[in-house]
Amino acid sequence: MTALLTMKNLRAGYGDADILFDLSMEVARGEIVAIVGPNGAGKSTAMKSIFGLLDIRGGSIAIGDTDITGWAPNRIVKAGICYVPQVKNIFSEMTVHENFEMGAFLRKGDYSAALDRVYRLFPDLKAKRKTTAGSLSGGQRQMVAMGRALMLDPQVLLLDEPTAGLSPKYMEQIFQISRDVRDSGVAILLVEQHAKQALAFADRGYVLAAGRNRHEGPAAELLADRHIAEMFLGG
Amino acid sequence: MDIHSFVNFFLLPGIVQGSIYALGAIGITLVFAIMRYGHFAHGDLATFGAFIALAFTTTLGLSPYAALPLAVVATGVFAIVIDRVFYAHLRALPKIITTIASFGVALMLRSFVQVVWGVNTTSYTRGITRPENWFGIRIKSHEIVTLLVAIALVVALHLFLTRNKWGKAMRAMSDNPELALFSGVDNAKVISLTWIIAGGLCAASGFFLGLNTELKSVMGWNILLPTFAAAILGGVGRIEGAIVGGLLVGIAEELSVLVIPGEYKVMSAFGILLLVLLFRPTGLFRGKVL
Repeated sequence: MTALLTMKNLRAGYGDADILFDLSMEVARGEIVAIVGPNGAGKSTAMKSIFGLLDIRGGSIAIGDTDITGWAPNRIVKAGICYVPQVKNIFSEMTVHENFEMGAFLRKGDYSAALDRVYRLFPDLKAKRKTTAGSLSGGQRQMVAMGRALMLDPQVLLLDEPTAGLSPKYMEQIFQISRDVRDSGVAILLVEQHAKQALAFADRGYVLAAGRNRHEGPAAELLADRHIAEMFLGG
Repeated sequence: MDIHSFVNFFLLPGIVQGSIYALGAIGITLVFAIMRYGHFAHGDLATFGAFIALAFTTTLGLSPYAALPLAVVATGVFAIVIDRVFYAHLRALPKIITTIASFGVALMLRSFVQVVWGVNTTSYTRGITRPENWFGIRIKSHEIVTLLVAIALVVALHLFLTRNKWGKAMRAMSDNPELALFSGVDNAKVISLTWIIAGGLCAASGFFLGLNTELKSVMGWNILLPTFAAAILGGVGRIEGAIVGGLLVGIAEELSVLVIPGEYKVMSAFGILLLVLLFRPTGLFRGKVL
């Protein structure tokens, strides 16, 4: 499989401090890749660096043949990468429908097909389309957040801890929807705190520690590796 | 006091003055919602707008009402220029710096008005307007125009913010600026849009203040406190709050004359401000925390 999103030997950080060292990753069309690792390993930071939120000191990031290293977020969105932050990922004072409209902000012309698709993925939200997004339950807010990001038909979807704080029922639902999105040809990269569940559902995984690659491979293999389980996945 | 004198001498003047405050307070609330600082040049920008309208009446011989839309557009564009020249490069610094800078801009605007138009009072029209009398309710034609135009501007703004793509982008940026950026919204464009709207409304508030009283170089500075009180009473960042807040402050000021001397009217705005900050800092409509 050829990679769609490629990160090569990335060195990045905020201000004077480097957080990521020589980090490399790839995500192909139609696969879910999970980044796992202990707290402070740089998982979310790695994702933010793809979206142009860090100072990049070395290495490169590309989508297809386009080098997007050092681009600003609003330009990266146009290149086909959408990002769902872990917190503050919805417009809480706007309605569910308006959140999706904002997701389609960059689209020219009619976007009713994308809107139909999002409501098909999240049928529960159809009845709540006029509801203020901030008043929804945690699981539904996460769905609004993903729906907003999908309105642009992105090639790559970045999900930062999409199941944090959710009940097992919603967690399973978010995973299932992510699989549906993947099967429609989108490359999904996600960061997860629940490492075991994430690897159980992802196709491939990267185990990070201290801002570096430690292990990578098919998710099932990482999950089965006793050493990795002991060191990084909490036994 | 019978109901007619209450309406004629307190309620109606309060509502007229309140709509003038509301037009200014909407601008203050919008600027805070998008850029997160208090804009203290707002009053003097209103003065500037009022005198620009005067300039259109004297140089082009237009009626004041014909000069209003021109002054609204001119002041809106001028507000963008002020932002580009004085505020834009302070964007990344702590917001208090921009707030202080806006005091400087206020002084410059006032001095500019004083140099060009002098410090004496003037007016758009000469002579005395006799009030219309409808079933004992006495209202002057310019008061009716003030109310109608204020309502029209508020309705237009509401439609823009709820129906238009860029209006929604403004609300989105007020709600969650980072996510707006992640959705591809160009922040610089939203900021310019905010200034043209806030500046235009500001000119309208100054114009109506001049129309209902008189024009002088400190007129805007004098309404800055009640305008801020209105925005804070309503809840900063809340447009509906700014409207309700403006009307309440205007009416409270007129009613205060019943208990304190008229020259101290403005104290009631100050009192409201204090009470809101003490007991409900987020205002009536739960705005953003200052």
